[in-house]
Amino acid sequence: MTPRTLGQLRVVALVLVGIVIQTTLGADLRVQGVAPDLMLMLAICAGLYGGAHQGVLVGFACGLLSDLFLTNTPFGLTALTFCLVGYLVGTLRATLLPDGWPLVPPVVFVASVVGIVAFLGFGDLVGQVRLLSGGRTVLVRTVVIEALANAVLSLPVALLYERCARGTHGAAELAQGSTESAFG
Amino acid sequence: MAAIRRPARARYVLAVLVLVSVTLITLDQRGGGKAITTLRDDAHTVTSPIQGAIHDALRPVGNFLTGAANYGTLEKENERLRQQVANMQNQSLAASAEQAEAQRVLAQAHLPFVGSIPTITAQVVNSDASNFESSVTIDKGTSDGVALGQPVVATGGLVGTIVGVTRHSAVLRLLTDPNFVVGVQLGPVVGSAKGTGIGGPMQVTFDQPIQPALSGTQPKFSLAKGNVVVTSGLQGEAFPSGIPVARVASVAHSPNAPAPTVTLTPVVNVSELDIVSVEIWSPQSASTPGGNG
Repeated sequence: MTPRTLGQLRVVALVLVGIVIQTTLGADLRVQGVAPDLMLMLAICAGLYGGAHQGVLVGFACGLLSDLFLTNTPFGLTALTFCLVGYLVGTLRATLLPDGWPLVPPVVFVASVVGIVAFLGFGDLVGQVRLLSGGRTVLVRTVVIEALANAVLSLPVALLYERCARGTHGAAELAQGSTESAFG
Repeated sequence: MAAIRRPARARYVLAVLVLVSVTLITLDQRGGGKAITTLRDDAHTVTSPIQGAIHDALRPVGNFLTGAANYGTLEKENERLRQQVANMQNQSLAASAEQAEAQRVLAQAHLPFVGSIPTITAQVVNSDASNFESSVTIDKGTSDGVALGQPVVATGGLVGTIVGVTRHSAVLRLLTDPNFVVGVQLGPVVGSAKGTGIGGPMQVTFDQPIQPALSGTQPKFSLAKGNVVVTSGLQGEAFPSGIPVARVASVAHSPNAPAPTVTLTPVVNVSELDIVSVEIWSPQSASTPGGNG
């Protein structure tokens, strides 16, 4: 089994563990009734560490798994949103964003805001007007708290993602400037 | 952080996956997504035992995280509860006397719903995966007698209703969900309350104009903060009557509006649900002789 295949399997396992954690422990992390979104974080991390291609694939998978556990929104809505967020982060990472761990929390914050707003916007487009029925104050509060919570948790999640995607050896190579990706 | 530069390939994959997503959304929206419903049900069936086991195993971790994330709130909650215990001790004697009186009145009125609805106790194994819908999964399903539309209560009052059910699990839509609507009653006035999302208040619309302080010709009725709103149980309602739903949180009077704007805080804190009771009740069973409500 090649290191790349191993990396892919580890990322698949991480995503599966992620959805289980999100649906079992997510509620325990609520602040003011709002929980962080581990699956959105994984999509953003995939874009950051694997580029646009990996961001799209992991984002779509994370979104599709999230959709399985949602009952009120159309199946595929989260997948659409997360794959676009993964692509956007990956593209910006390749063209605009500099290297560095300190960059991770602010990127995750901004990308989370974009992701949540896009989810609400797409939802509204396909007739899910109730997503916006809470009013501006509730929506802004939810978006800001979720994005902040994602940013706070982003460093350990990013580190975990990187280790899974590249392995210990790959992470060391990465630190030396290699650009190989688990997803090629 | 090193990035991969294969924009053309990424764009191609993105285009394909966006098309797949839009197709899935369209299928689901047009009601042709029976396979999607089955897929979702299967996902719940497969994962609910795993989630139940993880939920049990990691409960201490979850409690710790809850405490850490809400430290300030918990301190205030402790203070409030200490005060409440003191008040309750003072009121306990009076309450027991009132309860005995209420039981006598109910017995005379022959209200059949009180205490007669069978229930199934269930544990919450999976919380909602999104901040924009309020639902949880419980560990009881059709094999235990749970069916679509059944009301769910917890200590204190109404929690929600069953909106999805598999053999060994069920999805419960919480009363804070924007899709949740319940007929309510406050004193002699009936109306409907709806959720606005987790953390947000419920909003209530009364079916008749009401005044800030109703008295005189109308029955004694006060639209005051803290008053408990209960299910109305009118014909066709999805819930039996008399279940506490929420407390009045705010009352805003507008000079031009026929009725004040009233917001409610659910009696049950749905963000900390653990054990709930599913009431084996439906509007049909209520309308049959010997039914409840």
